[in-house]
Amino acid sequence: MFATIMKMLLRRLLVAIPTLLVVAALLFVVLRLLPVDPAAMSLPPNATNDEVAAMREAMGLNRPLPVQFLIWLGQLLSGDFGMSIAFRRPVWDLVSEALPATIELAFLSMIVATVVGVAGGLLAFYFRDRTAEAAIDFSSIVVLSLPEFLWALMLMLIFGVWLQWLPFMLRLDPQFERPVITGFLLLDTLLAGRPDAFMSALRHMILPVMALGISASPAIMRVLRSSLLDTYQEDYIHQARLRGLDERRVLLRHGLKNAFLPTLSLMGVQFGFLFGGTLLVEVIFSYPGLGNLMIDAIRNVDLPVIQIVGLAYCIMVLVISTVVDMLYLVLNPKLRVR
Amino acid sequence: MTSELSRRHLLQIMGIGFGAATLNLGAAAPARAQDKDSVVIAWPSDVPSWDPSQRTQPDAQPIYKLIFEQPVMQDPDLNFIPGLFTEWSLAEDGLSLTFKLREGVTFHDGSPLTAEDIRFNWYERVQESLGGGNKLDIANTWKNVTDVTLDGDHAGTFHFSQPMPTAVQWLSFMANFVVPKAYIEQVGIEGFREKPVGTGPYKLTEYQVNSRMVFERNEDYWGEKPAIRNVVINVIKDPSARAAAVQSGQADLTINIPVRETQRLDQTPGLAAELNPVQRVILVQVRHDTATADQNLRLALHHAIDKEALSKAFYGGAAVPLTLPVTPGSPGDVEGLTFAYDPEMSRQLLAASGYGPDKPARVRMATTNGHFPSDFDIARALVGMWKEVGIETELETIEYAKYFELNRGNQLPDLTLYSWENATADPEIFIGYMLNPDMPFAAWRGEEPGNRIRELFQTANYEERIKGYQDLNKTVLEMGASIPLLQSVQTLVRKEDLNYTKYKNGWILAQTMSWS
Repeated sequence: MFATIMKMLLRRLLVAIPTLLVVAALLFVVLRLLPVDPAAMSLPPNATNDEVAAMREAMGLNRPLPVQFLIWLGQLLSGDFGMSIAFRRPVWDLVSEALPATIELAFLSMIVATVVGVAGGLLAFYFRDRTAEAAIDFSSIVVLSLPEFLWALMLMLIFGVWLQWLPFMLRLDPQFERPVITGFLLLDTLLAGRPDAFMSALRHMILPVMALGISASPAIMRVLRSSLLDTYQEDYIHQARLRGLDERRVLLRHGLKNAFLPTLSLMGVQFGFLFGGTLLVEVIFSYPGLGNLMIDAIRNVDLPVIQIVGLAYCIMVLVISTVVDMLYLVLNPKLRVR
Repeated sequence: MTSELSRRHLLQIMGIGFGAATLNLGAAAPARAQDKDSVVIAWPSDVPSWDPSQRTQPDAQPIYKLIFEQPVMQDPDLNFIPGLFTEWSLAEDGLSLTFKLREGVTFHDGSPLTAEDIRFNWYERVQESLGGGNKLDIANTWKNVTDVTLDGDHAGTFHFSQPMPTAVQWLSFMANFVVPKAYIEQVGIEGFREKPVGTGPYKLTEYQVNSRMVFERNEDYWGEKPAIRNVVINVIKDPSARAAAVQSGQADLTINIPVRETQRLDQTPGLAAELNPVQRVILVQVRHDTATADQNLRLALHHAIDKEALSKAFYGGAAVPLTLPVTPGSPGDVEGLTFAYDPEMSRQLLAASGYGPDKPARVRMATTNGHFPSDFDIARALVGMWKEVGIETELETIEYAKYFELNRGNQLPDLTLYSWENATADPEIFIGYMLNPDMPFAAWRGEEPGNRIRELFQTANYEERIKGYQDLNKTVLEMGASIPLLQSVQTLVRKEDLNYTKYKNGWILAQTMSWS
């Protein structure tokens, strides 16, 4: 199986390179087509036209677009990600601070989405053809129809403002100093031996994680239920019952295991969407991740940041889809044989 | 399903997750910002850089003032008072400014403040920026400084190639802070931005971009030490989230939230809300060379605006309607001068230029959306008011960051809704900049009143200069070269027992705060 996985990884890598190049080119061209002059934006408002012209020359903006793209690509490959126009800081510094926060948020949200989705799918399947199924179905439609930012606002109002159970801004209570070891706050608080700070960070994450996780769960629930219904038509389910296995074992060993494969594919897609969903949720909760950085960059027309954050999102989606494919391979014996 | 899979089993499986979540909820202590030795402020934006001279961003100034200090400071009524300069004197010809520097002041790294630091900031760094090095927004302001000569460690003289009548005002204005020469030469500018050092009442102890800043009181501060030891500034960009943060107790003070939210929170026990007029004007910038080259049309646009209605609709009536593009009572204001809201007059002026029901006047206007409170709503209201008198307006939204680029390329539309902040209240930094054809801020590039502004830039005598600007403001009003709307207000919500000093220019300084 190891060889199969390695082959798959190699194939993925070969696909990832042109994918990234295409995304980088698209980002570059689209942003250059905007009626914005990066040279002028890089200078103080009171810069003269001569200064802008000199800056344009220095930035290579007078050269043909393909040449500009190649220069930018060359800089990327040499580790020069450019300088933020708004923050006057290297873009990599900004992205490397924000990326771990978004990964933590998306990862925990996916766990919530999976737990809620799988539990809901099992419940709906268990209560099929009964009133409870209709109730679960109705609930899932309601959850599905509300976008994640509305969940964010509702959760913030209910648990943050009215009940005042949970904090809803930033990542730590004011009294805690943020340890910086790996950049992943939850991990860093543990590594720093600060369980109190860890709990504070965890509490700060509950609402944004729930907002993203809940809104991603109905799709998982519905696909799982539907897959279970299909799976239960298969002969091996009847044979399992004939062998005298109890229903719990039939469901968990045969039903769920086989029905989970299509659900896993969907989870990969959902994880990708979930990354996109972090944009607004991060802004609402003032969560210092990539989404917040991106919205800020768009507001300030900070082209170097927009480009790199866009690429970071693309890389994250590629990594997620590779991981999902690997899991698929591990769980599906048919693919391993092929 | 003839089930042996009991309902209990299923509930057990699902219960694990929910149970854990419930336990967490139960364990979560209510979030509280308040601690008598600290204050948590929810602020709308981050600093653009920890080099305070690099960008002129109004919202960042109160944050910079925690760490850095200025040569000249302002009191709450905006009078100029000694800061790091204890004395100063502008020469009668405006070509030099002598100063005495406060003694016994140290930077946070323990090094002493000397006149070398003043020369470094207002000559060496400016020259470096003008030469294409580290770009500073303040460089163009000080480009006429030919040198800063030193008279010992604590005195010196600025020398200007042209009169600089507002040198003192500028020394107290945005981005004019003292940063340490020796430290920057030692760690480099990047090292300084990573770990900024100033002479101010607080030291920066933690910073996460776009998230939070933590400050600790500078126990070696030369002046009166702040009452509060720790200041936490949380960057919360969404106005509603800032309001919720104060309402839930997670922040002790916030600013710039919607007026309606401010009024609602004022009714909340334990909170106090304020609508404070500040030194910021909201106006319509006008071009002199497009459809608005017609003076009748410009005046018609102005007469058609019901400013009281705008104030009531968008600022709870707290924003003062303006006649001139200066704040009421500031040095450039002309007492008793008014400009009538008179739609009928608008129609007459339009008719005089050949416009009428069959031939409506057409203008294009740009507005930001979210740059200052209710900007887009005000623009839409203006479009409606102008339609009433027969002016069709094509409205477009631009990012504030694009204003200068469009202006530089002569691509701004006829009108632009704009806001202008001038913490010093000096008229040069109002109309002297907003209508100066040599500056990137002016949409109006006509030689008049441009030539008069150029003259006033060279006028060193204070009384003569202020009188000149008052006359100029009247001229601008008669020409319709600018359409002033409202004096902007700052919304503020705080814990009732949190005291702070109210500055007329809207500075919210943590060093003035204390708990009752």
